[in-house]
Amino acid sequence: MQNIDKYLNYLNRYTNFSEVYFSETFSNGVSFKNGSLSQVSGSTSSGYAFRAIDKSISFGAINQENWSIVKEHLDRIIENSRIPGRDKLSHEEVYKDKWSVPVQKKIEDMDLEDKISILKDIDQILVEKKIPMRILAIGDIKQREFLINSEGTEIEGDISKVGFFGAIGYYEGGNFEQRFIQLGFSGGYEALEYWDLYATIGEEAEALKKSVIAKPINPGYYDLVIGPEISGIVAHESAGHPTELDRILGREMAQAGESFIKLGDKGKPVGSPQVNVVDDPTIDHSYGYYKYDRDGVKARKRYLYKKGLINEFLSNRESAGRVNSKSTAASRISEWDKDPIPRMSTTFIEPGDFNFEELVEDVKLGIYMKSYSEWNIDDIRFNEKYVGLEAYLIENGEIREQIRRPTLETTTIKFYSSIDAVGKDLKFFAGTCGKGDPMQGVDVWMGGPHARLRNIYMR
Amino acid sequence: MDAQSAFEFIRKRDFDEVVVRKLSTNIQQVKFSNNEIDITNNWNESGFDVYVTKGRKIYNFEVKNERELERSVNSAEKALKLLDDNPDYIKINSEKYNYRNRTNRFVRISEFEISKFARDFIDENIKFAKRIGGTIYKKSMELEVVTNYNSFKDFNAGIEFNVRAFNENDVPTQQSFATSHDDDLDEIHMVGEELRDHLRMLGKTVQGSDGTFAAVLHPLFFASIVSYTIPMASAYQVDSGISFFAGRLNQKIGSSIFTMYDDATDDSMFGSRIADDEGVPTKKTPVIEKGFVKNYLHNTSTAIKLNSQSTGNAGIISPSPWQVTVEPGTEDPKEMIESIRDGLYIVNTWYTRFQDYREGIFSTIPRDGIYRIKNGEIIESWSGIRVSDSLISIFKNIEGVSRETKKVKWWDETMYSKVPYVYVSKLNITKSK
Repeated sequence: MQNIDKYLNYLNRYTNFSEVYFSETFSNGVSFKNGSLSQVSGSTSSGYAFRAIDKSISFGAINQENWSIVKEHLDRIIENSRIPGRDKLSHEEVYKDKWSVPVQKKIEDMDLEDKISILKDIDQILVEKKIPMRILAIGDIKQREFLINSEGTEIEGDISKVGFFGAIGYYEGGNFEQRFIQLGFSGGYEALEYWDLYATIGEEAEALKKSVIAKPINPGYYDLVIGPEISGIVAHESAGHPTELDRILGREMAQAGESFIKLGDKGKPVGSPQVNVVDDPTIDHSYGYYKYDRDGVKARKRYLYKKGLINEFLSNRESAGRVNSKSTAASRISEWDKDPIPRMSTTFIEPGDFNFEELVEDVKLGIYMKSYSEWNIDDIRFNEKYVGLEAYLIENGEIREQIRRPTLETTTIKFYSSIDAVGKDLKFFAGTCGKGDPMQGVDVWMGGPHARLRNIYMR
Repeated sequence: MDAQSAFEFIRKRDFDEVVVRKLSTNIQQVKFSNNEIDITNNWNESGFDVYVTKGRKIYNFEVKNERELERSVNSAEKALKLLDDNPDYIKINSEKYNYRNRTNRFVRISEFEISKFARDFIDENIKFAKRIGGTIYKKSMELEVVTNYNSFKDFNAGIEFNVRAFNENDVPTQQSFATSHDDDLDEIHMVGEELRDHLRMLGKTVQGSDGTFAAVLHPLFFASIVSYTIPMASAYQVDSGISFFAGRLNQKIGSSIFTMYDDATDDSMFGSRIADDEGVPTKKTPVIEKGFVKNYLHNTSTAIKLNSQSTGNAGIISPSPWQVTVEPGTEDPKEMIESIRDGLYIVNTWYTRFQDYREGIFSTIPRDGIYRIKNGEIIESWSGIRVSDSLISIFKNIEGVSRETKKVKWWDETMYSKVPYVYVSKLNITKSK
């Protein structure tokens, strides 16, 4: 860390733009497998990441401080920046600031015995529910980060996060169902109360057991009421990803793909006027929270879809620079040694006016899909599939019996155009969003309210 | 500090067993899209991954900065006093071994200029494509492992190249190449040739149909399927119960012409290793042999727990595969496609997700060349379809395997893989409504 200015000055001598990022992380994890302690670990990681631009963008990462080795590394970065290629960053306001995630119960005050005890208690809840397959993990991370660049940016960040993961499986009558539970929180171990962890696990176990013995539906057209978890995954997959500007520009063309949205599509319809989809990194304690993005641009809320129209893209300085616009502050990394690319943070369908009863009461024949298991979407983010896990039949405005694996296979336009009512509730779920090469899995929240879709094919 | 020095430092403390794994990597990458270089990346990193034990208690820590080693050891000592015995840890390998020498050479690989290759590749192929994007990596790694009983060093280097090109109708195709052997390096120039063949064949796409089809699966597609399958053969995952392989040892789950290995001994791929993380020499392990589940992947502890032998796949707690190979067959890929009367030829797939890990029920989204075949001829290209099927159904319906294999490593969708073309008689296709 003490050499950060020296490294910047060296790069700055030979390139048009230079940047040095230093990060130091401390992380801990405990896991249980089927009732027993399985893995206990602690990790430290630190290093410098560099970005320099002359004729193209050159990035490098190193975790050594021996000057001769670092200098050789910097020289290679400088040399690579002279390879002809893309060389623009957007012009942005320069900030000098410090920010931190508010913490009530500090990570360092949480003893290992306490974490083990939590997992034991959760495992016991699942044993009492007769769940035979149980993998449970709890972990935390503390990170200090520093960003400086040749334009005068100086940002210092202090981040704490806590995460929980559970994989549970249940067998009955020759049928199997699985459930992956991921919870995430920026802050300290007050996360446990925020999640209402023990109650959440109990409810998940009960729903899983019922789903195994539920009956499949007759394929056909139904009204569909989706819960916040479905709102979240759909918002993430078919609003967040297709509005990432680097995808639209083709930078991910050989990996995660591109987008059905083209550069000139702002203002075009994508759904009914009730549809607003937001990405907001500034929500307190959200898993992808930040005050400044990895480029040093101040974070703000973005309306990706507004009143059913394509409204705004998720961009970093690199992608915004290519189209001569301003960054929307979506630059993120998964670890200190990865190059910054546009990412989501907390993506959600914005709540509307309806309560749950109003959404259901005039549905003659429908499905209430509360959670999902399998899902995927094509590489332009248009054809998608969601298989319900906890789901119920709706008949004449009443929630009836649980149903097994109802499957929605539809398109982005069809999905958002079928929404005729949006609930007033709002709930978030944690996830790890994958993108980039090398793969960068970043922490995100996704969510939304309950919502109703009319006359959509389910099988 | 090398692994031996770190081991000596840690061993002075109150531990029974110490395993130190030091991995140093030097990786260069050029990423390009729409015919221009986007970014050049360089990573120069090293770090320690350490396991310490006391009886049946075990603690793991990773350190990327040597200055943190002492603090981490102190934490480990404190943590071990608090832990219960761990039923997933029984012991590390205590048998002493001599290790094989690598058979691959990587002098030419080390000298390979990836940024020049990327530029030349774009220039040579842009007249056949509307736009081209991809990544090329040059990787080298040095691994040192020291335990109470063994120590070894391993080196490897490799080139990986993935490219996707769109034809004049903006229909994409993709190719992948990976090698860790100088002798194979020239095959990288075949990538452009195959890419151009597909660009000519693709034409325009039409929306595909749902139904059950015979299909020839390109190695890139099948590498993805086996790359999602073989990690579930880890004895740790089997023991958890959430695995397709759980309860299926010695059961027939595939066609008699389907054999799938974890093979760390194929040094021509970057996933090869001379020994695992506890010093057991690696081997070629049939996971599925002639359609039967033959082996789970073990470390010493899982082998004792499940009454088996280590397959050289440690992970001290959880064994994992190194790289996957599928036994080649006897057929010619071109003839396999020509033999289809009514079916599909699919080049690539992505976003594979399982609704049921136990039964292997999943869906995945074909891309980069979905050809509709009738009477052995390509009649059109499709888009907008999904494979919604199960591993057992696909593996049991394998009726043809090519003699030609390809070594691929594409993004996060495939492991280091050497895989043939396969013909499956039934593949369930669904689509959005």
